Amino acid sequence: MFSLKKSLFRIFKETETNFHELNYLFWECTTRCNMNCLHCGSDCSKESSHPDMPLNDFLSALDTIKDPPSDFTVVLTGGEPLLRNDIETCGLEIRKRKMRWSMVTNGYLYDNEKHISLLNAGMGALTISLDGLEDTHNWLRNSDKSFARVDQAILLAANTARLNFDVVTCVNQRNINQLPSISDYLIRKGVKAWRLFTIIPIGRAKDNPELNLTDQQFKQLMDFISKTRKTKTIDVKFSCEGYVGTYETKVRDSYFFCRAGINIGSVLIDGSISACPNIDRSFSQGNIYNDNLFDVWKTKFEPFRNRKWTKIGQCANCSDYNDCQGNGFHNWHGDKQNVLVCHNQKIKNTEQFESKKQ
Amino acid sequence: MNRNILKRIIGGLSFTSALFVFQACYGTPQDLGLDLLVEGQVKSSGSNLPLEGIKVSVIENDQYVFTDEKGKFGFYAPVSDSINLAFEVVDSTQNSLYLSKDTVLDVKADRVYVDIKLDEK
Repeated sequence: MFSLKKSLFRIFKETETNFHELNYLFWECTTRCNMNCLHCGSDCSKESSHPDMPLNDFLSALDTIKDPPSDFTVVLTGGEPLLRNDIETCGLEIRKRKMRWSMVTNGYLYDNEKHISLLNAGMGALTISLDGLEDTHNWLRNSDKSFARVDQAILLAANTARLNFDVVTCVNQRNINQLPSISDYLIRKGVKAWRLFTIIPIGRAKDNPELNLTDQQFKQLMDFISKTRKTKTIDVKFSCEGYVGTYETKVRDSYFFCRAGINIGSVLIDGSISACPNIDRSFSQGNIYNDNLFDVWKTKFEPFRNRKWTKIGQCANCSDYNDCQGNGFHNWHGDKQNVLVCHNQKIKNTEQFESKKQ
Repeated sequence: MNRNILKRIIGGLSFTSALFVFQACYGTPQDLGLDLLVEGQVKSSGSNLPLEGIKVSVIENDQYVFTDEKGKFGFYAPVSDSINLAFEVVDSTQNSLYLSKDTVLDVKADRVYVDIKLDEK
């Protein structure tokens, strides 16, 4: 069925792609991690094979960006960024350049003292990972102290009005039936925004079937988000990890738009220049130790900005392709002959199954 | 400029909030810019020499920093029309001769600078 709104959004996406303004840059500042999560897509560990990237190396790359937009944000990610002992210096140096910064953390080291020092250094947004209630969070995080620590971190962040803060949860077979209780817990803590993911079967996650939702469970997740959004008790949404067909706009504020390589870039631990850190590293477009970051951004990134190559495998004849365009870019790994996960197909499979039952 | 206008028109027509705020799926929300830079220097009113180790705190919240060897400090505080700062002597030996002091800063830009002189007891 023709939808004017959808058609206009396609034009909007095309315009954004043509402009490809860089305003969101991940910095994988360390791959060291103090957790050993079952679902880690990065295979991070306490002893990383890569040393942390020196701040000055990153700043040299950052300084190639001419006239950054006013909302330009550097997102510190890892590994666990709080394992760096110079994280505040990193933040202050970014702010000196009229740029903003934010951080993704597991919350384990996020105590009151760290909270204050990060605010002092100009941190303006924060995401903390919470993967369930105490039992399921500690199971996935592989640590019996993790929930107590993250609980404290969430309380600190949720009560700081200047922080644009949200909690992210990786939904899996063990926590899917806890979602209403997790919602209640977050509301009690004062959390206003909550983003839900599924776990992409890469890294450690590919060998653990408990981490992946069945098709029915995925639709259950969509129904939960859709229903909870209507209550307006918490701003819950599905992440932009994939196109969800009939649930588009019911589970997010707008239609699906994977901005990897369109507005989102990254500097990875070895200096590689890419988009989101969970994207297959073979898509790297250059390296800050050899190339000018901003030149690479302006002149390369062709596979990200022209995704026709994804019209292959099950995407080749899909009727939703124009709106989906191969799903989230991080769903293309290995030989790239087929999309790793099709969220829309999971929903369709379940709808067919349910209609047969009736 | 033209780019932004075009973006806003097309985005507005498609009724999308994605035009204004977006986040990478594994990233953070966007920083909404709700802070301002507070900087300054603390000196002795008598000798005019910089005072190191003075605790500078925002009275309305838990934030604090300490002055460095040049008496300087700097931090990001929440956006506000005014900020109440406290300058406290917390070192019982080095700065014990000085009196603590509070001050209110009027904020008219996205950064403020203040020079403070602490009186001797």
